[in-house]
Amino acid sequence: MKKALSAVALAAAAVLALAGCTDSAAGPSSAPSDGSGSDDMRTVRVAALPIAETGALWAAIDEGIFEKHGIAVEVVPAQGGAQAIPALLSGDIQFAIGQPFGPFRADLQDLGVAIIGDYASAQPTGRDVNAVVSLPDSGITDPADLAGKRVSVNSLGAAGDVTIMKAVEDAGGDPSTIQFVEVAFPDVQAQLEAGNIDAGWVPDPFMSQIEAGGGNIVVFPYQAAIPGLDLLTTITTQKLIDSDPELVTDFSAAMSEALDWASGDEDAVRAAIVENMGVPEDVAAGITLPVFTADLDVANLKELADLAVGYGVLEKAPDFDRLVQIP
Amino acid sequence: MESALAVTGTAPVRTRRSPRSARKVLLGALGLVGFLVTWQLIPALGVVSPRFLPYATDVLGQILTEVRDLEFWRNVGRTLTAWGLGLLIATLLAVVAGALIGLVPFLRRATHTTVEFLRPIPSVALIPLAILVFGLQLQAALLIIVYATFWQVFVQVLYGVADVDSVARDTAKSFGLSRAERFRYLVLPTALPYIMTGLRLGAAVALILAITAELVIGIPGIGREIVFAQTAGDWTTVYAYVMVAGLLGLAVNLIFRFIERHALSWHQSVRGEEIL
Repeated sequence: MKKALSAVALAAAAVLALAGCTDSAAGPSSAPSDGSGSDDMRTVRVAALPIAETGALWAAIDEGIFEKHGIAVEVVPAQGGAQAIPALLSGDIQFAIGQPFGPFRADLQDLGVAIIGDYASAQPTGRDVNAVVSLPDSGITDPADLAGKRVSVNSLGAAGDVTIMKAVEDAGGDPSTIQFVEVAFPDVQAQLEAGNIDAGWVPDPFMSQIEAGGGNIVVFPYQAAIPGLDLLTTITTQKLIDSDPELVTDFSAAMSEALDWASGDEDAVRAAIVENMGVPEDVAAGITLPVFTADLDVANLKELADLAVGYGVLEKAPDFDRLVQIP
Repeated sequence: MESALAVTGTAPVRTRRSPRSARKVLLGALGLVGFLVTWQLIPALGVVSPRFLPYATDVLGQILTEVRDLEFWRNVGRTLTAWGLGLLIATLLAVVAGALIGLVPFLRRATHTTVEFLRPIPSVALIPLAILVFGLQLQAALLIIVYATFWQVFVQVLYGVADVDSVARDTAKSFGLSRAERFRYLVLPTALPYIMTGLRLGAAVALILAITAELVIGIPGIGREIVFAQTAGDWTTVYAYVMVAGLLGLAVNLIFRFIERHALSWHQSVRGEEIL
């Protein structure tokens, strides 16, 4: 009897609970249109970090720009180049959006990876997309102050530490005395407050959050080192360029259109950030967006590689004639 | 002592709901409450800023919100699918390989060094290889899960099949039991407690690796939700999913203990006294 009663109670509770259920994945963008629509729709898997910059891609997919070019895009949230490049080589994904140091290193290892265009670039003037920040009472306000300090970057031996070293050198500091520490962007504020690092390199929303708490923006390293540097690039494999050049050309054209559209419709990009990343609307509104463009500035990339060689981050510069292949 | 021949036939039904088990539940609940209170106090006392370690109450509230979202249950399902498949494949491989190698002394000696070399390799180190072979797909996660879980079960099976009592073996021989019968009535009952232990250990390891694979490779599931929340700086959701991972682990452990208790109800480790 008792059992039956509790079963009824449980069922009632379940009904009540289920009545309040939602399905956050039941949005228009959740289901990748798997080849639906026209017959010649090609499905590509694109690896992209789950960061604000990917907002342009998410928004452009919702806008139907890729569909117009006969491509159904599935965004695969790879954590970084270390995951994206093996996945590219395995053929599981066709394209990846990542920082230039991934393809740089891949090229130095002859892995057959190619950059087919820019995706996003840093802001050449004004407020940039990322910054080195410090706590209000740290006394670190100028790039020269970073010499001899512990500074965090999200991954060592990439654009972060290279541009910071350049900015410090230009400000008259000795870049070789900086101790770089690897700290993930979301953890920077906690590590600053715990005193484990003196300054940290962060993008938005963390940059704005730390600044709102009275923190100092020490320097925008990209802007200081190479204004308008390519932040994220679109990459693929030589194998795909050889085996299906049409797909690469079409994807590149679609991407170009998508990025042009995104740079003109910031609201759509911010809405996509809110929807896909689950950040509150007011936070998304405060994010500094990069310049969305497919136009690659090869001179900037070469300068970045030369700096990296100069600081001993890379053994030698990659072969840009082979690495950069704009369809 | 126990004669395996006689024991296997009888499986005494044991239904005991003593005050002792009630006390155990109470103690378990008390431990959980103690944990939550400690957690609540850490940010409250300012040991860690509540911005980075949210209050236990906030996290519990977030869990209650999440469980009403269908996508949450899909993610739990995805994690458990990877876990279940990985555990199943690893167990099958380990039992077959373990029994074969364990029963043949020559194979045992020949593989010993290799096994001890391969076993300590952290399967997380194989993630780049897994992605290179399988891409950002479930198979890549399965490779990681199976590798880690396999050794847990395999080593237990290896010891289990080697643990056959020599008197019992001689007895079985003199009674003229065939090879198959000896395996069924002698080796299997001896190895079963070991297999069960391996399975319970393996189940926990498989869950850890399933979530790790989602965290690092980005395969859909609870682990990926943790990364998403982390990237967005949403610590309450991060810890909500961390709690969910812990609860899944607890559930997996309880289920496997239950299976172990029933499958081994005849064995002295279960008959004798309380389970660990």
